[in-house]
Amino acid sequence: MMILTVIIGGVLGAIIGFLIPTIPYSASKYLAIAIVAALDSVFGGIASSIKKNFDLKVFISGFFVNAIIAMLLTYLGQRLNVDIYLAAIIVFVGRMFNNLGIIRRFYLNKVSEKLKKKHM
Amino acid sequence: MKNKSLGIGIGITCFVLVLALTLQIRTMTIENSVVSQTFANDELKDSLLQWKEKYDKSVAQLEASNKELDIIRKSATTNASDAEQKNNELKVNNMLLGLTNVEGEGIVIELADGQNNSLVLDASNLLIHDGNLREIVNELANAGVEAIEINGQRIVNSTYIICAGNVILVNGEKISSPCVIKAIGQQERIVRSSRARGRNFATAKIK
Repeated sequence: MMILTVIIGGVLGAIIGFLIPTIPYSASKYLAIAIVAALDSVFGGIASSIKKNFDLKVFISGFFVNAIIAMLLTYLGQRLNVDIYLAAIIVFVGRMFNNLGIIRRFYLNKVSEKLKKKHM
Repeated sequence: MKNKSLGIGIGITCFVLVLALTLQIRTMTIENSVVSQTFANDELKDSLLQWKEKYDKSVAQLEASNKELDIIRKSATTNASDAEQKNNELKVNNMLLGLTNVEGEGIVIELADGQNNSLVLDASNLLIHDGNLREIVNELANAGVEAIEINGQRIVNSTYIICAGNVILVNGEKISSPCVIKAIGQQERIVRSSRARGRNFATAKIK
């Protein structure tokens, strides 16, 4: 069920993304930072599901609110002439690597356990 | 139920994420730009380095070409001096062949038919003959003159002096009395030479 929804969502997103008109260049910066925030949420979600403490409400809210706040921060940064989006990117990407580390360790453990079982 | 809502939630986020990604990539492709300024800088640096390399190569090529040009110029100037030499030789040869007008020290001999004189039995002796002209020309040539002309006809290799009725043909041109022979050469030498030989040239002078 989950994999199916992921595939359907991905394909639909790609199709609609190709069909609708492109956004103005000045807005692409906001979208980029929103994408980074969303990716961070996704990796966070995966990591939390590994830790068995995944909560859909937290995930969805984190996904959208993070993206929106990142965009707002970028806007604010532009108003103030400070590149606040850099800070947002550092935080998000840092967290992404943390979560990726958790995911990596989990799968590594899994593989090594399987190998151990085979050898036994 | 929980599983279903989880699936829908993940699906929605996945949809939004892919949509945003696609849009962003499309926008960037159309704008022909890059998100990060660093990448743009790197590209600029790359192209700068490429241009610098090209510039260096061009400079090296230019230097090589300049050297080549120098060599060509040098050889061209040597050719020019050669050409000048050849030109001078040609001028000298043309002068010797009598193909050019020349000027300089020399002598002018004027010959005219003699006046009717009862003492002279043969009237033919009073006239200038082709033989006389040939002799004078030979004398002058022996005296080392460089150029001779008779009534405007230059004496050259192919010149012939021959009698044709009551006129003389020089280079095919009719000549009659008076004949003016101009010769370019050292005057003293010509006179000395003719006197020493005691030729009619000298006789003429004495007259």
